[in-house]
Amino acid sequence: MTTIAFVVQQTMIFSIPLLIVAMGGMYSERSGVINVGLDGGMIMGAFTGTVFLNQMQGHMSGQGLLLLALLVSGLTGFLFTIFHAFASINLKANQVISGTAMNMFAPAFAVFAGRLLFGTQQVPFRDTFYIREVPLLGDIPILGPLLFQKAYITTYVGFLIFFFAWFVIQKTSFGLRLRACGEHPGAADTVGIDVQHMRWAGTLISGFLSGIGGLAFVVPTSTESNATVYGYGFLALAVMIFGQWRSFKILGAAFFFGLMKTVASAYSAIPGIKSLPIPATVYKMIPYIATLIVLIFMSKRSQAPAAEGIPYEKTGR
Amino acid sequence: MNTKRVLALMLALVMVLGLVAACGEKEADPTDAPVVTDAPEETDAPEETDAPEETDAPEETDAPEETDAPADPDDLHKEGRLDENGNAEIALITDVGTIDDKSFNQGSWEGVVQYAIANDKTFRYFQPTEVSDAAYINSINLAIEGGAKIIVTPGFLFEIPIYTVQDQFPDVNFILLDGYPHAGDWVPAISDNAIGILFAEEESGYLAGYAAVHEGYRDLGFMGGMAVPAVVRFGYGFLQGAEDAAAELGLAAGDINVKYTYVGNFDASPENESMAASWFQEGTEVIFACGGAVGTSVMKAAEKANAKVIGVDVDQYAESETVITSAMKNLKKSVNDAIASIYDGTWEGGISVVLSASAGYTMISMENGRFENFTQAQYDAVYAELVAGNIEIPKDTAENGEQILEPTDLTFELIVVENIK
Repeated sequence: MTTIAFVVQQTMIFSIPLLIVAMGGMYSERSGVINVGLDGGMIMGAFTGTVFLNQMQGHMSGQGLLLLALLVSGLTGFLFTIFHAFASINLKANQVISGTAMNMFAPAFAVFAGRLLFGTQQVPFRDTFYIREVPLLGDIPILGPLLFQKAYITTYVGFLIFFFAWFVIQKTSFGLRLRACGEHPGAADTVGIDVQHMRWAGTLISGFLSGIGGLAFVVPTSTESNATVYGYGFLALAVMIFGQWRSFKILGAAFFFGLMKTVASAYSAIPGIKSLPIPATVYKMIPYIATLIVLIFMSKRSQAPAAEGIPYEKTGR
Repeated sequence: MNTKRVLALMLALVMVLGLVAACGEKEADPTDAPVVTDAPEETDAPEETDAPEETDAPEETDAPEETDAPADPDDLHKEGRLDENGNAEIALITDVGTIDDKSFNQGSWEGVVQYAIANDKTFRYFQPTEVSDAAYINSINLAIEGGAKIIVTPGFLFEIPIYTVQDQFPDVNFILLDGYPHAGDWVPAISDNAIGILFAEEESGYLAGYAAVHEGYRDLGFMGGMAVPAVVRFGYGFLQGAEDAAAELGLAAGDINVKYTYVGNFDASPENESMAASWFQEGTEVIFACGGAVGTSVMKAAEKANAKVIGVDVDQYAESETVITSAMKNLKKSVNDAIASIYDGTWEGGISVVLSASAGYTMISMENGRFENFTQAQYDAVYAELVAGNIEIPKDTAENGEQILEPTDLTFELIVVENIK
């Protein structure tokens, strides 16, 4: 039981940032804008979030501080993505190039600003956020150890964001319009939806969530941020594609990736797997191989938004 | 359409300004955040270079190890110091990583800074554009064009680049740390103007393992970065230290368990955190985190699990409360001494030297150690034995020169080594 609880607790560390960022990516792509700049957004969010933690930790501590820092990270991602939205929606630039530019800019900026502020590119923070056990909820048998012990509040924030994001895109008229802009912007336009506005909204939401994901990535796994998220923004893109741009499939994909990552690095603590004659590298490869296989078999039936990546021209319809 | 573009451009500009302003604000109020961040907040470094007065802000990492430093400048002097033509006599080329990596490059750079400030020399550093022999040679050429007479290169990746250039520039001295020049075949080919400086990392590792067992820990872990020679030596020394301490304490065979692995990178990734967490979960009490930024991942896992960490290379006590000690090599002193030997004419080139405990180059941190049972007296005793050469420690190569690739190829009687791949 403790082993299972341990695996679940560790899986959260990997899955939650992936989930948050992949949901962000979904918003952008289903509005019709490819955002490969998620990695850059995560780095920016992780940077400003840790700078905020670093500067405020003398005045505040605990969950309130972390929640505020998450907000700061989200806003940073939001502002950062304005570049991408402007280039790809208003200027109709190639969206992959613009996203790549963001990915190259973000780590460079984090190193530069980090050195300017602290003299080193690493931004340390003091961890006062670790929850050994949630009061009351942590005592629930089975469920308590799985979800409410040894966790970070980012886990719960991640689930809240997921359900909220799912509800908005699937159950509200805003979501319906956003999806229409990604599938058939011409049709959306004829019924009076402002395609540019919806795409701006989708892209900025993805930026906001990538920023949050960046801090949710750093806080549980390190004592400092170091101008990188080790490619997890790209992994989140893979999760989104693996999840076929659909909320609950993305949820499943994020936990599948997270579980495989956990098994690959923590397998020595999992009795059944430890005795199998499979090298850990196999587990490391599984998520990527699975993504490739899914892409191969789903390419004909891909549920990718039909108009993603194509700038909308009113005259072209 | 056009107005819209202008509007959006304005928005973008506002955002950039907002960012800058936010940065400015944060920089402006360092005073009301007097806590953990003991890095110097005010790093308006450029002007300081020509006025090397001592700012009294405690720098995080370098302060403790300098027992023998006469004048240690408290900041990193990132801009270096150039003469009126923009040239510098002493140049450091960084390896993978930066001069503020709190580890290898930083230690070497501090040695350059220490000597240059104390003796009023010009100095600077170069960061190669990528990890390749060509890029490293490029940076070396750049440094020499910029007037460098002494080139300091931390890291065994410089072995072949230095071999390539050492004869082209007979007037330039090359100081290579953690390796020696060769043509790719590991047969030393060191010109008179070059020196290869190696460290007896196994001694530091030995002291760490010895101290950990005497402190009372029975379940140990070793998480190395990549299996490069220096990391391997740290690891084997750690095992031998645990073995010898177990013998001294009269423990039975199997009382000490050591998990042993190389994670294959020097990153602070969630994978490394997860692996460390799994070891702690299984009962490991202390992990020797031997691989640059891997340490921050292990410290994070230790903080969550209430476990302990042993740091590496430089004294990492300030990075986390969980660090009980650090297995160190005195890079700063070695670089400083080597540069000094060039200027005072005692330079002996054409050789590779192994710096060891006998001259105080390898050690663990005691003054910043967080030990409860292991005492300074015990440490002094074992250190004396080490200096006297009474302790045998396996290295990364066997007597016949062959590489010992796996810790399981070593024989221990008391400790059980679990090699995790």
